[in-house]
Amino acid sequence: MAKILKKLVFLVAIVTAISSLLAGCSSDKSTSSTASSAKGEGMKGYAVGKTFKADKPLTFTTMYNDAAWYPFNKDWLLWSEITKRTNVTLKQTVVPMSDYGQKRSLLISSGDAPLLIPKTYPGEESPFVSSGAILPISDYVKYMPNFKDKVEKWKLQPELDRLKQADGKYYVLPGLHEDVWPDYTLAIRTDIFAKNNIAIPKTWDEFQAALKKLKEVYPNVTPFSDRWSTSGAASPLGALLQYAAPTFGTVGGWGTTNYIQFDKDKGKFIFAGATENYKQMLQYFNGLIKEGLMDKESLSQSDDTAKEKFVSGKSFVISSNSQEIVAMRDSMNKTLGEGKFSIAKIDVPGGPKGNVIAGSRLENGLMINAKAKDDPHFKELLQFVDWLWYSDEGQELAKWGVEGTTYKKENGKRVLMPDVNFLGLNPAGKKDLRVDYGFGTGSFAYGGTTDLLQSTMSDEEIKFQGSMHQNKKVLAADPPYPMESVDQEQATLLSTPLTDMVKQNTAKFILGTRSFSDWDAYVSELKAKGMDKYVDLVNKAYKEYKKKSN
Amino acid sequence: MKETKSYKVFKVVNVIILLLVVYITLFPFLNVVAQSFSGRAQIEAGQVTLIPKGFNVLTYKTILHDKTFWTSYRNTIVYTVVATFISIVMTTMFAYVLSKKRLIGRKFFTSLAIFTMFFNGGLIPNYILIKTLGMTNTIWAMVIPGAISIFNMLIMKSFFEGMPEELEEAASIDGSTTYGTLVRIILPLSKPILATMVLFYAVGNWNSWFGAFLYLDKSNMFPVTLYLRNLLAGATSGQSAGATAADDLTQIGANIKAVTMVLTVLPILMVYPFVQKYFVSGIMLGSVKQ
Amino acid sequence: MKQIIEVSKQTQELQVPIITTPKRSVVLKALKKDWQLYSLLVLPIIYLVIFKYIPMIGNIIAFRRFMPGGNIFGEEWVGFRYIQMFIGDATFWHVFKNTLIMSSLTLLVCFPAPIIIALLLNEVQSKKFKKFVQTASYLPHFLSIVIISGMILQLTASNGALNSLIEFFGGKPILFMQDANWFRPIYVGSEAWQTMGWGAILYLAALTNIDESLYEAAKMDGANRWKQTIHITIPGILPTIITLLILNIGSIMAVGFEKVLLLYNPLNYETSDVISTYLYRVGLQSSNFSYATAIGLFESIIGLILVYSTNFLSKKYTDNGLW
Repeated sequence: MAKILKKLVFLVAIVTAISSLLAGCSSDKSTSSTASSAKGEGMKGYAVGKTFKADKPLTFTTMYNDAAWYPFNKDWLLWSEITKRTNVTLKQTVVPMSDYGQKRSLLISSGDAPLLIPKTYPGEESPFVSSGAILPISDYVKYMPNFKDKVEKWKLQPELDRLKQADGKYYVLPGLHEDVWPDYTLAIRTDIFAKNNIAIPKTWDEFQAALKKLKEVYPNVTPFSDRWSTSGAASPLGALLQYAAPTFGTVGGWGTTNYIQFDKDKGKFIFAGATENYKQMLQYFNGLIKEGLMDKESLSQSDDTAKEKFVSGKSFVISSNSQEIVAMRDSMNKTLGEGKFSIAKIDVPGGPKGNVIAGSRLENGLMINAKAKDDPHFKELLQFVDWLWYSDEGQELAKWGVEGTTYKKENGKRVLMPDVNFLGLNPAGKKDLRVDYGFGTGSFAYGGTTDLLQSTMSDEEIKFQGSMHQNKKVLAADPPYPMESVDQEQATLLSTPLTDMVKQNTAKFILGTRSFSDWDAYVSELKAKGMDKYVDLVNKAYKEYKKKSN
Repeated sequence: MKETKSYKVFKVVNVIILLLVVYITLFPFLNVVAQSFSGRAQIEAGQVTLIPKGFNVLTYKTILHDKTFWTSYRNTIVYTVVATFISIVMTTMFAYVLSKKRLIGRKFFTSLAIFTMFFNGGLIPNYILIKTLGMTNTIWAMVIPGAISIFNMLIMKSFFEGMPEELEEAASIDGSTTYGTLVRIILPLSKPILATMVLFYAVGNWNSWFGAFLYLDKSNMFPVTLYLRNLLAGATSGQSAGATAADDLTQIGANIKAVTMVLTVLPILMVYPFVQKYFVSGIMLGSVKQ
Repeated sequence: MKQIIEVSKQTQELQVPIITTPKRSVVLKALKKDWQLYSLLVLPIIYLVIFKYIPMIGNIIAFRRFMPGGNIFGEEWVGFRYIQMFIGDATFWHVFKNTLIMSSLTLLVCFPAPIIIALLLNEVQSKKFKKFVQTASYLPHFLSIVIISGMILQLTASNGALNSLIEFFGGKPILFMQDANWFRPIYVGSEAWQTMGWGAILYLAALTNIDESLYEAAKMDGANRWKQTIHITIPGILPTIITLLILNIGSIMAVGFEKVLLLYNPLNYETSDVISTYLYRVGLQSSNFSYATAIGLFESIIGLILVYSTNFLSKKYTDNGLW
């Protein structure tokens, strides 16, 4: 009995293995050079300014990122309106947002992904490129007039080039922004600054002086206690270093995943974590810690603890973004009392390398399954995507909904209909733009003209955006360095411990547990972990890319 | 019998130790419950300890008014009941068989089971298997893949092995079949372990969300744990859509974790006393002469 | 040629019933007599084969290059490439060491804790109090990892409860989460807190199986409660203890991923980083499933060896074992 069972198990295993291997062998791999023309007729005369409409009803499968605040509803006006205008019905695979990335990876890896895969950030498509599971969309953007139009109008081609892979093509359709959209910066207690006649600091040096003055007036308070060291992409002082680093001429915090930076003068990539500029930035913040101006715990406390200190008046400065500033203000209305305080975001301070910010105008977008190529209505698919995600009409529909039902235009400004609310802009509204209608959600409504973007912002935020655009220069993006998959494997194994080491020592140097006289020893440690080998791999890939594009 | 003095002292110390245990386990729990009823401002300022401050049921209201919440709660109950039933039947069968020394190939089958505790194929092969079997988006994907926990099975097996063999011998002499012995003699005597297994499986199924996430893509089939997990992720994500956040949203964000926990734990807390009944000692074992 | 083969096949088949090995006939006899018992095996074995063994084939990607989106069994054979990759990866051995240390410490502390709790509860006479303590003690099991890590971070903050206590006794506040030396105690301590109540349930169930008359007899022989515990209670639950011990030792490579992920930070990577979190960070940069699978196989083999050897030792010295 046992023997027979054993044989059975073995047999089943072998059969399954062999059949799957065979099946795998016979699946066709896309040969990129040939198929650059799309199947299907497409809509006649489709162009910018025209609504896409398919000749006959079509259905396309798509992933849908389900956020619990506006749970998926198949009866949303969004779906029926899309079908009404374009004759396309979307069939959704609903995935909870909490684990969207993992499910997306699973579906693609098991060959089961829908045709359209939205909510994909630039960079997230890379693992799937070498297997040919994702469409090299750059070959087909010629069928997408709205996309091309915006790229040209807003001069986005250099940023698009950043997305190119080793074969010179790019595989993700990013969301496009007209302007960079800065969000994170310092938030301060403007009332306390005003009370003590401290001017709003415009540079990091002024910031340090301001903190010093605060410490003199309030000796028992550590004025600056920061957050975002433990949440999100765990990186010590992740948000702070992200917006501070460009002003020091380097990269850091959330602004980088591997501390690779392009040196324009040298024309090649360097490892930012070992540079003099990076050291200077760390020295600056170490100075703040040494003088008791910045809370040591900023580097390890939870966001809740940091917020608690600010909200109860135990600190006066914290990093913030547009959502948090409003949330904190609301809390403080209850803890400190309305009218007894005031807080605001200030412009990112300028540094030794000037008033600069880094940022990309590319946003999350979508990937398209390579199988779409074989769909008889491939061209229609491309045009549909082009209309919904990149045309002004499509974007307005996705964000605001249907004119007359969910919003109307007053003096050229978009205003919600009286009974519709969206993120608190119209508290009297009983219905919610997202929950009841499906507009303004995370899968379709991203990117677009600055006008559209700011149409849902508060006045405070619009003022901040205006000031930042006026006073700050946006740095040019680094060129790409797409690697072959074999090199990529090695690179990842080198880069992970290097990144760990930089993060660890960033914290140690800032806290002062490691002295700056040890800096050279630190650089040697990085070398010992393979820093030079890693940078060489990066530059090798960059040289290959340059050759190919010339 | 008279108790020694040292035993009396021990009993007092014991009570103190156990009270300490209660303090460190109950206190944090009550703190979370209190937070679930508190206002955001008070929570963020760290003012909440054991009693709700700034009494606020907005988060509860928002969740309980959501139809999806109730649909997913119903789903969870169905999945848990069905899965636990299937698991108990399968595990008991397996444990009983493997506990019999007379089973030929006993070592082989036990090894077969233990081996699966260490080796698994990973997400992708499992997903493809379920898909090939046509089980995606059905209740079967929720109740079958985890039917037997080898860990639980081995524990049950060791319980069965601890039962005196004379019981079975007596039964078979009386002409009872294997099935009969199992159902009429062994199971009634195994109430404590059965109750424990029901508890383990039920709690495990109640809290599981991963299987649902893998094999379901219709949101009306999601269990409540997936729904709440998604809610938590949405409320705590740092994504700003370039717009102001409503007062409501941030209130919910502040105590969503606490509310989620209370809503998940409540049913189990209500069920547990019924299970505790079965941890009764001295069931008939004394009736068999060793 | 074909005909000859077919004929010889036939003769072989004919030969089988005549020349049966004794084992085979014993098996057939047992099957016939005890079919009910063997029938109970059918469903579980089918379950194991379909849902556990068939997916195991996926592990083949440890030896073949897997590209996400391509063939699920990998594109091409690469032999021991990935195995050599992790053997040569110094960071891997560091996190491997961390995993072992963390697991061993957890085992050392969290294994006896539930037993002790169960024994202490056993000595309580008031049923109400016993129920109350038991219910309270397992509450931490139900707190989600997210909540627990939030609690731990709050507790160890510079203005948290722990530091308030330290300051009360005149000490200076310690930034626990910034010091790599504190991570293990904090992790293990919170594990014990979370699992001791829930783990006690099993032992309490086992305790009900102990024959009351044994205690009576011992009392008559003049044994005090402590001696009773040593000679009756503990041997009574020994099979359960041994089973759980072997299983826990076998799962020594499985350190709770989510909890470490929520608690660690670059300042304590040195002691907190374990295999699963390291693979997570590697995976964030490039989804190298093959590499992760190779490491997974390595962990599995270690677990299997540990279980087998622990079981062997336990059978030798205590007559108890998994099989």
